This record gives sequence, C-alpha cells and structure tokens, in this order.
Amino acid sequence: MQGKVEGGVKSSSQCGLKSDLSSNNTSFFSSSLSLKSLKLKTKQQALLIRVTILGLVYVLAFISRLFSVLRYESMIHEFDPYFNYRTTLFLTEKGFYEFWNWFDSESWYPLGRIIGGTLYPGLMVTAALIYWAIKFLRFSVHIREVCVLTAPFFASNTTIVAYLFGKELWDSGAGLVAAALIAICPGYISRSVAGSYDNEGVAIFALLLTFYLFVKAVNTGSLAWALASAFGYFYMVSAWGGYVFIINLIPLYVLVLLITGRYSMRLYIAYNCMYVLGMLLAMQIRFVGFQHVQSGEHMAAMGVFFLMQVFYFLDWVKHLLNDPKLFQAFLRITVTFAVGVGAVALGVGTASGYISPWTGRFYSLLDPTYAKDHIPIIASVSEHQPTAWSSFMFDFHILLFLFPAGLYFCFKKLSDATIFIVMYGLTSMYFAGVMVRLILVATPAVCLISAIAVSATIKNLTQLVRAKSKVAHSGAGKGTSSAKASSKASLDQSLPFQRNSAIALLLGAFYLLSRYATHCTWVTSEAYSSPSIVLAARGAHGNRVIFDDYREAYFWLRQNTPPDAKVMSWWDYGYQITAMGNRTVIVDNNTWNNTHIATVGRAMSSYEDEAYEIMRSLDVDYVLVVFGGVTGYSSDDINKFLWMVRIGGGVFPVIKEPDYLVNGEYRVDKGAAPKMLNCLMYKLSYYRFGELTTEYGKPPGYDRARGVEIGNKDVKLEYLEEAFTTSNWIVRIYKVKPPNNRW
Amino acid sequence: MANLCITSLIFLSFLPIICLSFSPENPTDRRILVLLDDFALKSSHSIFFKALQNRGFELDFKLADDRQINLQRYGQYMYDGLVLFAPNTERFGGSLDLADVLDFVDSGHDLILSADVNASDLIRNIAAECGVDFDEDPSAMVIDHTNYAVSDTEGDHTLIASDDFVQSDVMLGSAKMEAPVLFKGIGHSLNSANNLAMKVLGASPSAYSANPKSKLSNPPSLTGSAISLVSVVQARNNARILIAGSLDMFSNRLFKSGVQKAGSSNKYEKSGNEQFVTELSKWVFHERGHLKAVNIRHHKVGETDEPAIYRINDDLEYSVEIFEWSGTNWEPYVSNDVQVQFYMMSPYVLKTLSTNQKGLYYTSFKVPDVYGVFQFKVEYHRLGYTSLSLAKQIPVRPFRHNEYERFITTAFPYYGASFSTMAGFFIFSFIYLYSK
Amino acid sequence: MGKSSTTKDAQALFQSLRSAYSATPTNLKIIDLYVMFAVFTALIQVVYMAVVGSFPFNSFLSGVLSCVGTAVLAICLRIQVNKENKEFKDLPPERAFADFVLCNLVLHLVIMNFLG
Repeated sequence: MQGKVEGGVKSSSQCGLKSDLSSNNTSFFSSSLSLKSLKLKTKQQALLIRVTILGLVYVLAFISRLFSVLRYESMIHEFDPYFNYRTTLFLTEKGFYEFWNWFDSESWYPLGRIIGGTLYPGLMVTAALIYWAIKFLRFSVHIREVCVLTAPFFASNTTIVAYLFGKELWDSGAGLVAAALIAICPGYISRSVAGSYDNEGVAIFALLLTFYLFVKAVNTGSLAWALASAFGYFYMVSAWGGYVFIINLIPLYVLVLLITGRYSMRLYIAYNCMYVLGMLLAMQIRFVGFQHVQSGEHMAAMGVFFLMQVFYFLDWVKHLLNDPKLFQAFLRITVTFAVGVGAVALGVGTASGYISPWTGRFYSLLDPTYAKDHIPIIASVSEHQPTAWSSFMFDFHILLFLFPAGLYFCFKKLSDATIFIVMYGLTSMYFAGVMVRLILVATPAVCLISAIAVSATIKNLTQLVRAKSKVAHSGAGKGTSSAKASSKASLDQSLPFQRNSAIALLLGAFYLLSRYATHCTWVTSEAYSSPSIVLAARGAHGNRVIFDDYREAYFWLRQNTPPDAKVMSWWDYGYQITAMGNRTVIVDNNTWNNTHIATVGRAMSSYEDEAYEIMRSLDVDYVLVVFGGVTGYSSDDINKFLWMVRIGGGVFPVIKEPDYLVNGEYRVDKGAAPKMLNCLMYKLSYYRFGELTTEYGKPPGYDRARGVEIGNKDVKLEYLEEAFTTSNWIVRIYKVKPPNNRW
Repeated sequence: MANLCITSLIFLSFLPIICLSFSPENPTDRRILVLLDDFALKSSHSIFFKALQNRGFELDFKLADDRQINLQRYGQYMYDGLVLFAPNTERFGGSLDLADVLDFVDSGHDLILSADVNASDLIRNIAAECGVDFDEDPSAMVIDHTNYAVSDTEGDHTLIASDDFVQSDVMLGSAKMEAPVLFKGIGHSLNSANNLAMKVLGASPSAYSANPKSKLSNPPSLTGSAISLVSVVQARNNARILIAGSLDMFSNRLFKSGVQKAGSSNKYEKSGNEQFVTELSKWVFHERGHLKAVNIRHHKVGETDEPAIYRINDDLEYSVEIFEWSGTNWEPYVSNDVQVQFYMMSPYVLKTLSTNQKGLYYTSFKVPDVYGVFQFKVEYHRLGYTSLSLAKQIPVRPFRHNEYERFITTAFPYYGASFSTMAGFFIFSFIYLYSK
Repeated sequence: MGKSSTTKDAQALFQSLRSAYSATPTNLKIIDLYVMFAVFTALIQVVYMAVVGSFPFNSFLSGVLSCVGTAVLAICLRIQVNKENKEFKDLPPERAFADFVLCNLVLHLVIMNFLG
C-alpha cells in the first residue's frame, strides 16, 4: 500500500517536472527575445528553476530506489553485495591496512583468497568513509544502513554529473533532461536500488564522471581538468572492472579524432595527461597492478599514447619546417622507423609472454559466441547472456526510440564532445547487446543522447510556437533565434496549422515522457526491487507470501555447525554462506579458480560414492543445495545443474554432458538418464521428496518448478545425512558422514 | 540368579565410574559382559575367564537369551567390553540386537566374538558387519590333512595345529609363540573391501573348509591361506574386535592339551592356546598397543606462543608428545618413524620427527612459499597400535604490503632517476619562473 | 643515387630544422631542455632494465613513468604557453603553470608511493 502511494506521487512529480522543464526552455528563449530590461531577471529565474529541478531530480533519484526497503526491509540484496558488505564490515572494524592485507581463509578452502589483492576496494572504502563521516557527525548508524543506501546516494550524484555532462555536450536544457531521464531509467535502477550494494552502483557514477571530466578537458585543453579526469579514472579503476571500457573507449575516440583530422592541441593535453597520471594512479590498486603495461586489453591505450607523441612531433616539425617536400622526406624516415619499432616491440612482448593475451571475458565481449564454446563458467552466469529485445525495451522504454533521434542531432551539430558521446553510445549499445549486464554501461549514454533528442525537439517546437506569435507581432528578431527555426518560420508562415501541429507534437512528447515515467516506476517497484534473498510470491488468494528460507538456512548454519565447518555448495551461494552463515566455503562467487569450481561441479554430478571421495579430500562437512521443487522457485540447483556438468566436464573429462541428457533433452522425470537420476545433486535435491504432495491433485513427488513428477522417488543416501531443510524446502543442508567405523 | 541381582546392584553403585569408562586417561577396559549359550561354558573355559578376572576385569556372565541383558542404562554404557561366547544364539534376550552390538563397538567398546560350527545367522551377521565372512555352509569345518594335530585317534583332521601367527609383538606379546595353536571350528575369510580387518591366525595352504561328515562334491569355497582362523578388527575409533571361528580354542581342554603337528617331530607339552588367547585378549582390551598424543604444539622459531596464522616462508617448530599405555600407566613411546605433514590437498612438507626418547617428538621446517589453509597432519598407523590421526588446521598468509624487501640494490638507478626528475622539476620551475 | 639524395635531404632537413628552432623563445627552449633531460633519463633506465632484467618491476615502472610523465606534462605546458598556438589564447600562462605544478605534484607523490 505504502509503495503504491509512493509511486503515484512520484509519477505525478515526474510529470510536473517535465512541464517545469518546458517552461524553463520557454522562459530561456523568451529571454533571448524579450526586452533587455527583463533579461537579468529572467536569467535569475532560469537559474532558480534549474537549481530547483536539479534538486528535485536528485531527491527523486534517491527515493525511487527505496521501494525494496519499503517492501521488504533494509537489507543487502543478491550475492556479490554480501561479499562487499562483509569486506566493508571488516574494513570499518579492522582499519584500512588490515583490509589491504586481508587473507581470507574462510573462502576457497583450502586455497584461501587474498581479499585485499583481488577486489576493487573503491566501493568499500567509499562506504566506510561515509560511515566514518556520519560517525564523526555524531550520528549513530549501523554500517549496514550505509551500505544499503550507498547505491541510491551515488545514483543521485550521477544525476548531477549527467546534468553537467549534458550541459557540456549540448546545453543546460539537455543536461536537465538527461538528469531526469537517468534518475529513473530502469537500466540503471536495476543495479542501484537500495540494498544492491555492488560495485556498479558506484562505478556508473565514476564512469560518467570520468567521461565528463575528460570531455571537459578536451574542450578546454586544461591540465587541471585532465588531472581531474585522471582522478575520476582512478576512482573508477578502484571501483569496478568495467574501467577497461574507459581505457579502450577513450583511445578509440582519440584515434577517430586523429583519423577524421580533428586532432588538436587540447586533445593532446587532455589525453596524455589523463593517460599517464591515470595509469600511474590505477597501478596503485593491487588488483589491477601492472596490467596497464602488461595485458593486451590495455595496449590500445598505450599504442594511442605513442601515436599521439609521434603525431605531435611530426606536427611540430612540420610547423618548424614550413616546407612540404622536406617534411615528406622526414615523414618517410620517421614513420617507417616508428612502425618498425612498434611492431617489433609488440611482437617480442607477445611472444615472450610479457604481454598477456586477452582474457576470456574480453573475447566474449567481442565475439558473443566465444564464451559459450570455450568458457562455460562465464556463459553460466545469467547476466552474461546476450540481451533479448524485450529486456532492451524493458530497460530503456522510449529511450530506445529517442536514441537514434539523438544520434541524428549529434551528427547534425558535430563537435569533439558530441563525437565522444556518439562513440560512447554506439559502442556501449553494442556491448549491451552482447551481455545483459552491460545495459548498465549503455544507460548513461542512452539517457544523454535521448536527452539531446528531447531537448532539441522541444526547443525547436517551442521556438516554433513562440516564433509564430513573434512573427505575427513584429516580424523582427528572427535573426536571434536559431537558423533552423527562423528559416522554418519564414518558410511556413503561410501554413496556419504549423503552430497547432507543433503544440500537438509537444503534447505527444509530454505524453511519451509521462508514459516513460510511469513505466519506470512500475518496473522499479515490480521487477527490480526484489532482494532475491527473500522471495515473494502471490498466494492462492492473491496475498503476498514471503519465503525467507535462505536466511533461515544460513542462520541455522551459524547456530548449529562447528565454527570451522566447511560447507560445499555451488558457487552462487558462497558469498552468502560466508557473510551470513559465517562458515568456510569451498567455492564462491569470485570465480578465480576454475579447477576448484570444476571439482565441486564434478562432485555434484558424480555418484554418491565418488562424490564422497571428493568431499573427503576437500574436508567438506556440510553440503548445501537449493531446491525449488516445493515452491516452484525456478532458479534452483537442478536448473543450474547442466552448468555444473559442463564446468566439471571442462576440467575432468570423466563427466560427460550427454550422460545426463536423454536425446539432448534435460529432464528429471521417469524418462531421465540413469546417471542423472542417481547423481549427487539429484539425490540431495529430491531426498524424501517422493513422499511429499506438493500440489493438490498431483501425485506425490510432483516438482512444481519443472512441472513433472520426479523419476526417482526412492532416494537413499549412504554417505550423507539430512541435517536441515528449511520450511519451504528451498535450502537443504546435508551432513557428510565420517568414514565408516568398521570398514 | 540372586548372584546376578547382586552383581547388577554392584554395577548400579558403580555408575559414576561407569561414566568414565574407556576414558583417555585409562584406556584399559574394566567391566565386561560375557554372554554364553550355556553356563557350562563358565567352567569349561574357566582358565580363560579366571585369567581375565586376575587381571582386574569384572566379568558379568549372562545367558545370551537372558531377558535382563542391557548394554546401556540412561544412555550410558554399563560395560567396556563384550565377550560373545554364544555361537548358536539366534536372538539375544532383552532388547539387545545386532544393531545394539554394532553401536556398542562404534561407540568405542571392544568385542570378542567366537563362532563355531553351526553358528547362528546373528553371529554371522555381526561378524559380517565387521568385515569377516564365515563359511556359508553351516556345518563346514576347517580341515587340514597335513597340518592337523596329532592325537591318539586318527580323526577327521578337523583339530588343526596352526602356527601362522601375525608378526606383531604388540598383539601377541614380546614372548615368542613356541607351540602351535589348536583350532577346531569354522573358518572365515576377510572381506577384501575392509582394510581394517586383519588375520591373526591363518590356516596353512593345505587347509580347506568343508563338512567333514559328507563327501566333498564341489570344490570347497574357502581354501588354503585365504582361510583365517582368528582375525582382529581395529575400528577407526580404535575399538577392537576379535573374531574366532572356534569356541574350543578358548577352552580349558585345549589350553592344557599337548600338541604335535603332523609331520613334525616337535612335541609340546602344552599347546600355544593359552598364551595366544591371553596375549590377544590383553591387546583387545587395550592393555597394550594404545597410543595417545598430547601437547601438540607449533610456533615460530624463537617464539613460544602458537600463532593464529603463519606467513609464507616462516620458520616454525612443531612438537607432539606420544605416550603408550602399558596397562597401568602411560609410558613414553619411542620410535623413529613418526612423520608430520604440512598438508594442503597434498603434503607440501613431509618430515620425520626427531625424538628425545621421552615421548617428545619435534621438528622444525620452513613454511612453503604457498598460501592457503594448511594442516599439520600426523598419520601414524602401525600394526597393532591404535592409529593416531592428528590434524590441526592453520592458515598461511602471503606477505603483507610492508613485508616485501625494500631498497633493492638493482633498483637504485630507478630510485635515482625518480629523484632526479623530482629535483629536475624544482630546478626547472625555478629557472622557468625567474628566466623572464 | 638514391642514397646520396637521402643524405642530402637529411642534411637539408637538419639545417632548416636548426635554423627554424633558433627562432623559438627562451622559455620554450628551457622546456625543451627539460623534456630532453627527462627522455634521456627514461632511455637510460630502459637500457638498464634490458641489462639487469625487470625484477623490481614497480621501481622500474615508477622510474620510467616519472620521466615520461614529466616529459609529457612539460610538453603540455609548452603547448599552453606557446604564443603561436591560437587555441590557448585566452589561457593565461600563470594558470597554465599552476596546472602544471599541480599535475607534477600529484605525479611525484604517486611515484613516491609506487617506488618501494
């Protein structure tokens, strides 16, 4: 109920905002046309309105992300955020140096994980700083609240950056629209609702900030702005692995400018200063380390850096010589020399293994089918799947149609800045098509470009409306309005319904924007505010049913198992088990060791006795599986099982995928493959399930998640025993028995 | 019967002591329940029982079908050991059944089980659960036409004399077994899947297992040295089980009887049975061969406190004290083959521990250049001794950021260059500002 | 024939370069000298690294990058204070120098952090 009211208020405020915006535009243009005496006053008004709108957008961006807190409670969502939460807790308790050197023996047993050297600390440090700042101000809050609200807070900040960026790209009107669009864009909200305490929440802010500062640096040619963008880049590197996008996009942009002959001294200053300082700063992050000079992904930036030097040098010499013929000769010598040296260096570097080849994740970006064939562990993650059209529509709504329009406007008024945003938009859209999660990266670009489209259209239309009346009155002052509007005005003077159609179009635009606002609110409240650790479903009578099984299970682990117990589960649940259950796990969501994960996959897909050997060798005490057959929860381990088989089979060829399929079909009922019916995962999921009636009118052992009656109802466990099953059977925990006493 | 009541009363009064049964401080058993088919056995096997009582055991004799049989009371076991001399019992009296006997063993108590010809399914099943399979033919006996015991009457060669002992001083005592052991009963084989069961007394290669009364129609299923006459099982929890195929070998008659092996001129006045059975019972009831490890310690060289975590390449010292139970007190265990592993999925370090001959074993080594969660593992399994499996988990962390080597000589030019550019920057700024 | 023409070209090139360069203002020459110094130091380090191997890689990187950074920043300064560049007409040289100092401070602080 609460949420509903919220949403209503919000959408109406959104509509109001749009009208504010148009009035802003109108007043802006009236100011240029009206009398001089009024000018100062209208300017002040414009400023006031702009600040007010921005403030409203800022608040809006924050509160529209609070649905999850209202619906559920203030808690951390999903999987990765639990790790981030745990590390933040550690950071606030033990201090920065302990955090920096943290060796975690509770995950990846028995290998352990150097947490300090294998994470992007930006998010945790940010949250800890906020926490310390609040504590310094004598407010007592729990660190969890800070973590929950970090993402919305940074989303709000992103709107400010979006405004500035839009202003830099086009004008302040476009900036305001961009801020408003990005504040509620579902593509962004999906990763930044309250509780979604993940790197992306901070990283998008950093990404946009870096781009903004870089464009600013290119526009002004100032070292200070370049330095600022280097710091923005540093923050981005510290926050998210997606920084690779920046370090490739910016060189690409520079290269395009070079090729199209738009090279300028400003570009030289901005890029070189940003690159050298940004690279140095980025090397301070342990996880990134020397990658900037060693990995293939970063070589483009370095190549462009050297190219810039060569280009500058040639430019300088050309400037000095003032003689084309001599310069030609000079060019011939230097270019052949430079190309030769560069090629040799790259060849030697690659051959000697000094420059590492591209990582699989990077390949899978360039070639969407690569992961599927080569790296099952990447392909297994649902957010690494290619994007469906529906999710584009879902996340962008009208922005998807405004995007090409915005591109049109950008091409029409080409400048260094618009070239940048066009490139950003196009590349990120491509990546968004390759991987679902990269919609996030594309969102700011789409919002900005759409904002340009909206702003430019509305500006033209309102101008038309106004110019019409002006023409009618004086017929003068057209020269001050933009060329397009004036030409249109003079051309179409004879058309009486020109003005009416402009008004109609304006109304249409407002209608679309308000549809967008309602869509965003709906998506936010319905789709993106679920914490996924607590599940909600509609009961038979339309009431909400809450399944809190995960926390029940983790709490059980925390309370009932010895402190040094090792829990084996599929890696999805690793972070949650360590964070909430406080127990050692074999594998977790930081999928750095494929072999280890494959070992777990192998255990899950083997017969019980073989699995027992593997579990003994890993000192496993408990096995945790997630099972949705009772509740109809579909993302459970049985549905993920084929990935376990694939990942396990990728390292251990004894595991063969066809053994688990019948005619290429994956099934769990009577027709399932015999190996499937007797593997560990099947047994653990369906133990005692055969005697349970899940749905009225169905036979016992009816799996609601897959809608079939299971094939092996008589599951006997020999080496494991059931330790705990949550109230809705979603999480089942088994204890590994000690070896037989007399055998 | 009154006698029984009194004994049970006595046991009740001993309840507090019972709770301490099989304590790590005193592993030797105290109270033993003896289940018999027939009280006549009490006198026909009196030497064996008397020897036990003389060594301080309290024997509680009951008929196997006695309704009062109870191994536990209020969740506590009332006995430390069980002697099952009831080969023909199909069902125990009271609530005792197969599972109870196995639970008794699995909670660390000892068992002597003797089958005989026509052993019941219950006894066979208990044996089978311990990895010992008696010959399926109920009337089969071990027959040996070359190594039988010479007697006055030429019998059917079912009384055999075996001297195929296990080579272990711990099990059979330090005194050498001189005379062969007389055996008359059913043979068994060890389940090959069970590597805890062990043959103590084997049959000769010429033995076979068949019904001596009927003619041999098919080849016998058990032949030669596959036949075990007496076996022991030491379970993982160090409970010990003795399984014999002959009740007679514990009897006074065979204890006292002389023995001469067929084809051998050596004639012994007294068979080896008494010595064999007595020594073996000492072993089974933990009067011997019981080790304990205490004071497992590890610390960095030069320190005494045990750290919560090691760093790679740390030098550490590991020590453990191992004692052996002599039947009355703990004495230092002396051996030169105790090894410690520094283990993470596979042993990274494997070292033999040095000993000071007073039970202390120690060594020192360098932590390998690998981080992870390691274990100090001592896996000491020696024939006859209880097995020691000590595992102590300890994480090993990599260097901290300030623990790496600093000021490396080869890097001095780089330092120089950095500082010179810094100096260059100041000089340049100065010149640049004042050159105008 | 080709060769001699190339050498002649090169000679002419050199000549004209030198004559053109002598017209550069003094403050730019100072900057050029500074850049030369930085590049030279960087080259020495690269050669040294090639001889002894890249073991303290962070030290090597910080050494070289401090030189490269210095050089690049100095060139940026040179661009900004060069009166011939029309793009930076309205940027006062004082501001340019202040930016330059700021960037250098950051650069050297980071280098100090990275060196050990």
